[in-house]
Amino acid sequence: MNGLKGGLLTTSVGSLPKPPELIRARSQAARGQISVEELDHLARQATRDWITFQEQIGMDILVDGEMYRGDMVAYFAENLEGMGISGLVRSYGNRYYKKPIAIGPIRRPAPITVDWWRFAQSLTERPVKGMLTGPYTLCDWAFDDYYGSRRELVMALAEAVRQEAEDLQRAGAKYIQIDEPAVSTRLDELDLAIEGMALVTKNLHVHTTTHMCYGRFETVYPRLLDIPVDEIDLEMTNSGLDLLERFREHPFTKDIGFGVVDVHSHQVPSVEEVKDHLRRALDYLPADRVYVDPDCGLKTRSVDEAKAMLTVIQQARDEVRAG
Amino acid sequence: MRDNTSATSRVVATAVSHYPKVGDGPGQQRLRQTIAKVDRGEVGPEAIAEAAAAMTEAAIEEQEQAGLDLITDGQIRWQDPITRIAGALDGFEITGLVRWFESNTYFRLPRVTGEIAWRGPILAEDLLFAIEHARRPVKAVVTGPCTIAALSDLGGREMREVTLELARALNQELRALAAAGAAWVQVDEPALVRNASVEYPRDFDVFQEAMRVLLEDVPGRRSLYLYHGDAVDVPGLFDLPFDLIGLDFVQGDANLEFLQRWPRGCGLGLGVVDARNVRMEDEATVERLIGQAVEAVGDGEVHVSPSCGLEFLPRDVARRKLELIGRVVHGVEVGA
Repeated sequence: MNGLKGGLLTTSVGSLPKPPELIRARSQAARGQISVEELDHLARQATRDWITFQEQIGMDILVDGEMYRGDMVAYFAENLEGMGISGLVRSYGNRYYKKPIAIGPIRRPAPITVDWWRFAQSLTERPVKGMLTGPYTLCDWAFDDYYGSRRELVMALAEAVRQEAEDLQRAGAKYIQIDEPAVSTRLDELDLAIEGMALVTKNLHVHTTTHMCYGRFETVYPRLLDIPVDEIDLEMTNSGLDLLERFREHPFTKDIGFGVVDVHSHQVPSVEEVKDHLRRALDYLPADRVYVDPDCGLKTRSVDEAKAMLTVIQQARDEVRAG
Repeated sequence: MRDNTSATSRVVATAVSHYPKVGDGPGQQRLRQTIAKVDRGEVGPEAIAEAAAAMTEAAIEEQEQAGLDLITDGQIRWQDPITRIAGALDGFEITGLVRWFESNTYFRLPRVTGEIAWRGPILAEDLLFAIEHARRPVKAVVTGPCTIAALSDLGGREMREVTLELARALNQELRALAAAGAAWVQVDEPALVRNASVEYPRDFDVFQEAMRVLLEDVPGRRSLYLYHGDAVDVPGLFDLPFDLIGLDFVQGDANLEFLQRWPRGCGLGLGVVDARNVRMEDEATVERLIGQAVEAVGDGEVHVSPSCGLEFLPRDVARRKLELIGRVVHGVEVGA
């Protein structure tokens, strides 16, 4: 099969669960009960542990697991000038988040993730992905009390993310992922999301990926393929399998990150189930264009569940490769 | 029981549907913390009802303090606009999370599994609780049959059939709410609007038929709310037996054209304060639009409100938006 030996590289979508002592320390730090240095020490230790684990099971492209981030939008908002944080807003059930607000001209005063990337990369010979949130999602998941125009807000954020992405490339990152889970939310704004991403990736020569989730891909396919990145990572197990049939009609012309595990379930799938998903992927796509990962970030799972899921993914990949 | 249906003036300050369940102030996270404790098995599930009751009282008090003349119970006990209703009817099972319109909030997708039927009152108890704790009239709000059908997995059945079954089931619910003393019975049908970002299936013939079934023998004052977009292409809107139609003038600015052709005497719900962004409105602009609306409706009522429910906002901002409405409405000259 085409590229099976070198293909089907395994990776993660980004976040991994924080160990309980780090979760505790983060809330203690928020209340001023422990110092920033103590928290930083624990976050570094947790990063080390995750890098070691990913290496041990044999994953190809590693992530730092985002032990120092709260959520994917607030983290960047906290580190950009012109962004503030509002009070709690509910997303569903008993889950709430502090939604960012654009309150002034957006500017990146200093690199945000580069030191953490350098630290993680210093721990391993394998490539560690640079992980960013895309400008369209940063806009869509924030309030706007300043720009009054979604396009202006997206493009201001894109400029900040472009600077960050180029700094990661300069630091040596070979893979940069710019997540845009909000992209399939509004049919009428796909062009705006593409325009924002074009600015972010215009000077990048390394492998670029964007991750999307929460479905409705079929409504934006094949226009989705115009997003200027090398690889699109999709939640194929929870909501993307309907999309596969569309690949016959409109071939998927980029590399694909193929999510093989539903991260919203506590259930760890069997190796056979994951192998089935991989074989289905290979019916439609050449192996050297397929990256294998969970559907989404694993931060909502327990450490044990996440480790079990990644181990199953790796084993399934190895068995499919072995034939 | 105190009369909950007393007459109001022509310009009424009101809310649309939900209100934030938690806030960032002291004691405002009681419901969230209680649910977490129940999930961890630290307290029994009955603690949730107590916390929800306390938060409902707070939502009522905040609406009243903001100067609203007509309030809701804040829908504190609702998980989302769909499953609170669909989950209490026969014929549905509740499945995975799906995005609500183009927001970053989610609802659980109902799947039709059999004949849809009303088992008994769903919201009457909540309404009675609110009436008992409120000083102002309380309206009852129900998500309409077209929206529930459009946002459900129909399980292979026809949209028309499912919508009409829902309309028959919810007709009984509306009668129960009217009997329980609702000042207004309000039907929310956001799936009917034109929204550039999201398309849900819309069938206007089925809508007309469903609304007639839904309102049959429902006494009292009845309103229809259409938000998250404009309703300019919805035919026959004013032929339906509603006393007031509520529109979103923030996301649906095309709705402004209605002001030129509003049938005199029909009530207008003026969703004029953005319930989905924290930016505060310019009071003079709000005031001007109210003036235009008052002129357009003749002797009908104008219900000034946020553009939709307020749970998209942090609690402190939601409250400030209502205060703005209260301030502007009670400063408005209603005319002779």
